Formats: sequence, C-alpha cells, structure tokens
Amino acid sequence: MSLLLSNLSLGFSVAFTLHNLALCFVGCLVGTLIGVLPGIGPIATITMLLPITFGLPPVGALIMLAGIYYGAQYGGSTTAILVNIPGEVTSVVTTLDGHQMARQGRAGAALGIAALGSFFAGCVATLIIAGLAVPLTRLALLFGPAEYAALMTAGLAFAVVLARGSILKSIAMVVLGLLLSTVGNDLETGAERMTFGVSSLSDGIDFAVLAMGLFGFAEVMRNLTVDQARGVVHGKIGNLLPSRAELRQSAGPVVRGTLVGAILGILPGNGAVLGPFASYALEKKIARDPGRFGQGAIEGVAGPESANNAGAQTSFIPLLTLGIPPNAVMALMVGAMTIHGIVPGPLVMTRNASLFWGVIASMWLGNLMLLVINLPLIGAWVRLLKVPYRLMYPAIVLVCCVGIYSVNNSPGDVLLTSGVALFGYAASRLGFESAPLLLGFVLGRLLEENLRRALAISRGDLSVFIHRPVSAWLLLTGVVVLVVAVLPAIRTRREQVFVEE
Amino acid sequence: MSRVRVRAPQDLVAGASLLAIAVFAIWASAPLSGGRLGAPGPGFLPRVLAILLGLCGVALVGRSLVRSGEALGRWSWRGPGLIALAVVAFALTIRVPGLAVAGPLAMLVAGAASPETRWRELAIFSLGTTAVCIALFRSLLHLPIPVLVLPGLFTL
Repeated sequence: MSLLLSNLSLGFSVAFTLHNLALCFVGCLVGTLIGVLPGIGPIATITMLLPITFGLPPVGALIMLAGIYYGAQYGGSTTAILVNIPGEVTSVVTTLDGHQMARQGRAGAALGIAALGSFFAGCVATLIIAGLAVPLTRLALLFGPAEYAALMTAGLAFAVVLARGSILKSIAMVVLGLLLSTVGNDLETGAERMTFGVSSLSDGIDFAVLAMGLFGFAEVMRNLTVDQARGVVHGKIGNLLPSRAELRQSAGPVVRGTLVGAILGILPGNGAVLGPFASYALEKKIARDPGRFGQGAIEGVAGPESANNAGAQTSFIPLLTLGIPPNAVMALMVGAMTIHGIVPGPLVMTRNASLFWGVIASMWLGNLMLLVINLPLIGAWVRLLKVPYRLMYPAIVLVCCVGIYSVNNSPGDVLLTSGVALFGYAASRLGFESAPLLLGFVLGRLLEENLRRALAISRGDLSVFIHRPVSAWLLLTGVVVLVVAVLPAIRTRREQVFVEE
Repeated sequence: MSRVRVRAPQDLVAGASLLAIAVFAIWASAPLSGGRLGAPGPGFLPRVLAILLGLCGVALVGRSLVRSGEALGRWSWRGPGLIALAVVAFALTIRVPGLAVAGPLAMLVAGAASPETRWRELAIFSLGTTAVCIALFRSLLHLPIPVLVLPGLFTL
C-alpha cells in the first residue's frame, strides 16, 4: 500500500508541473473539439492529432495523448446525446436513452451525468491501474515468446467474438489485418515482402494510414450514403447538474458500470467495447421498470458512460504492463511511445518510472479537467453541432488530410489513405467490420515476431504452445471463447446484446 | 440435381472478394522463401494467412448458397468516389502549390459528393477552414506543412 502511495505521489509530482498540466488541458480541449464532430471517434481523432505531440518530450506527449483520448471519448458521448450519431461503437448505447433525454429537454442532465459518471469511473480505474501495474508487470517478466504469442492469439479470438455481425466475417477481417501487417521488410532477414518495389511500403503500411482511412474517411463516405436524420436538439439544454433524484437514481448504475467496464477493459482484444453494452443490459435487467429504458432513463446513460470510461482506462493495463495493445487506440499509443523512443512493455515501469506513474496520474487529472472544461463549454459544442453536415464533412475531410500528411510529411501516405478509405467503404457494404482488421494489423508484427522466436527456440516443435502451461491455458481460453460464440444459443444472445434497440 | 441458387448475395460477393485477395497475396508472396517450421522464412506467415483467408472466402461463398442472408443493397459510388478524389487532389497539391490551394480544392471536390451543397457558401467556408488549419498546424504547432509554394517565385 505504501508503495502504491509513493508511486502515485511520484506520478502526481510529474503530472502537476505547470507544463504538463497545460498539455493535459490542451489535449482534453482539442480532443473534445474534434471528438464532438459527428462520425469522428477517438481513433480518427488521435490519428489526426498525433503530429501535434511530435515536438514534445515523451512524458508531455503521452500526457497530452491521454488527454486527447479522454476528450475524444467524451466528445463522442456529447454528439451521441445531442445529435443521435455515435462517434464510435462504444457510444452507440448512449444514443438510446441519452438522445431521448435530450429530446425531452433534459440534455443537460444527460451530459452532466455522463461527465460525473465518467469522472467517478476514471478515479476508480486510475486506482485499479496503479494497483495492478506492479503485480502484472512481474507476471509479464515470466512470459516467453510462446506465452506472448498465445496471449495475442487469445486476444484476437476475443476481438472476433466482441465484433458485431457475422463471426466468419470477423475472423476473415482479423486474418486480413494480420496479412496486411506482414507487408514490408521482414524482421529477421530484411527481405522485402509484398511491397512491389514501392519504397514507402518497405517499412510496412503505416498504422495511421490504415486507421484514418478506415475510421476517418470511410466513416464520412458511409454517412453520406446513409440518409441520416440529423436532428440536433433544438430547444433548451436544461440544467447541467442532474437533480438530486436523478443523482440518486444514477449512483448504483455508475458504480456497477464502473466495475463491469473496468473488468472488461483489462481483457486483451478490445474488451472495453463490450462494457457499455453489458452495463446497459445489466441495468435494464435489474431495473424495476425496464420499459423506461429507451424512453430517456438516466440509468441508461449513467451506467454505460461509466463503463465506457472505466474500460477506456483499464485498457491501458495490457499496454503498460505487457506491451500488448488491446485495441486500436492503444496501438496508436504504442506508435506515439515508439516515436519518442520508449518501447512499451514491462520494462517501462522500472526504466522510466517517472513517465509511467506520471501518465497514470495524468489520467486522473485528465478526467478532472474534462469535468471542469466540458460543463461550461457545452453551449459551444451545441453551436458547433448546429453547423450543417454539408459544411461539416468537407471540413472533416480537410482536417483528416492535413493530419495524415503531417504524420510523415508524405503526400504518398495521403494517396494510400484514399485507397484504404474506398476499401473500408466497400468492406462495410459487404458486412465486414473494420475494428477486427485494425486489431489484427496492430498485433500482427508482435505476433509474428514471437511466433517465429518460439518456433526457433523449440526447433519447429509446435507442441511448445501446449506444453507450456500458461500458453496452453491462454490458447484454450481463446478456443473456448470462439466455440462458445458459435453455439446457437449464445449467438442469439450476442446478437441481442449488440442490437439492443 | 436442382439448380444452385444464391441465397445471400452479400455473402457471395464478400467471399469472392476474400478469395481474390487471398489469391493475390499468395501470388505476391510466391518469391519469398517459406523456410521450415523450425526456421520460418519471410514467406511463411503471409502464405499461411493467405490460405486461411482463402478458406474464409470459400466458407462464405459456400454459406451464401445454403443459408439465406442479406441482399447486396444499393451501392452508391458517386459520393465515396468524390471523397476519395478530394483526398487525392489534396495529396497532389499539398507540396506544390501548398495548403493554401490544396485546402479549398479538397473541400470543394468533397463538397460535390453531397447534393445539398451550396457552392458559394462552401467556397467562403473552405477559405475560412483553410485559414484556421494554417493558423493551427503551421503557426501554432510549427508543423512543416507547405502553405504556399510557387516554384521560382515564392515559398512560405
């Protein structure tokens, strides 16, 4: 316990410098600003804003990125409540009751409880991360290549199960993501793989290009073809602070949502996505009057929003302790860390202790700032959302272009992104989801590296993955998860969870 | 034997596309050495993955003939095509003549993707947005984005 406290105080001493506070503030503000734009979720936002952290020292850059992340997430919820357009999968649930509340003139209360719930979840999740970091890092040091490969495989199995729609298609997307990750120079021999002599491909396809194409531009393309009823809430926003009765109603959902989200967030393979859905289903199940859900029940906003934020934060755990990004956002964090010369993994905590704890402390600070920044600024966001989409989307296209160009100062990247975007649009029309592809891509290089190392150590004996207990258990978990998901009974349940309308 | 009927056109096209990608990947990774299991070469994983992808494709095609599913739906390529074109236009003009031209150009091309666009409004708005981008990314964040480059005459 005293170790935990001394670690946290080290963290706060780093985060509480004027410079880092300012970066955290700017990150939250800019993240919210971009995140509020309809159809732009955290992935596109972070990709777009990644270049602005290039000139900063590593701690500052990570603190700012974390701020951007929370800001983008909160901005997404704001859009979900006010415009009924979810910026990403996790805010889908918020549109159900949040937008109904907004229509009833209670938008303020919905936004307020989302912020308060997120703040509570953020506080708890920060403590969980701080508490789990040390033991998990020790565990990570016992991991060999076989265990790492098995863990990532299990993570990908989770990602397949947690994606929406057809399981077969999700598997295909994961495999395609892995395949795309093999483009570029081979790690061991340096041989050019599937680059067709294009020099910009020899370092592999840039993650930012893929992420921006699939989640920035393709989203704009989809929004254009789907004729959406975009009713920004007119009329009054109402009081931002929820009434006492509403607070009492929300307390339980916030606590339960936080726990559900925090636990799911730790799972490798984008478990955080499931948090809001699980929390919503739970609240609906235990509610005295489930009929109110979908009609503007504040519990339906409080629970999922807390789960969302808790999961968003605990998904840092696999990254910080094992060096494995559990979802696309964390993969961007890996990219950012690598740019600043930090290799994510168990060694970060010992080698860069002040960075590690500084980032953790700034997570809590970021949540606090969101509360402070956003409550007064909601009026500004509403005005921003009233800009018609016909003007909004060309601006989104431009900002995305500038963002992707700035990552490497390369017009070639921008060209490639347009191709990826068309592919993403076609894929979504064919019922494929982009999230599993991105995760497969993210884990691909790490997976291949560890797989080949494990095989080299065992001299080509595949049984190494089964003979080592940890790896065997991880693989078994992955298989069980996949098999269970294919079972008919669970499959219909799964569909219900994701439809939930 | 009864005639084969397509029950899920979307799955059929999806599966066929996966197969095409798989075949392409197998062809593209053909020159790479596969190595042995004990010492996997650079071509080992790409080939395994391409085969897996192909199997997914076959399964989808097979399923589309057995289980009914979604129709292909209407595909509108005009909007997405113009968005992609806007991005291409940006890529081609960002170095020379720079963001001052690439910005409004990309926004105007993108604007053509929506039937609701009002041109005069968009033209003014695109100049404003570009100015904000220049102020934010270049002046405030000092990113090396070319603002206006006229070869031999002017560089900003």
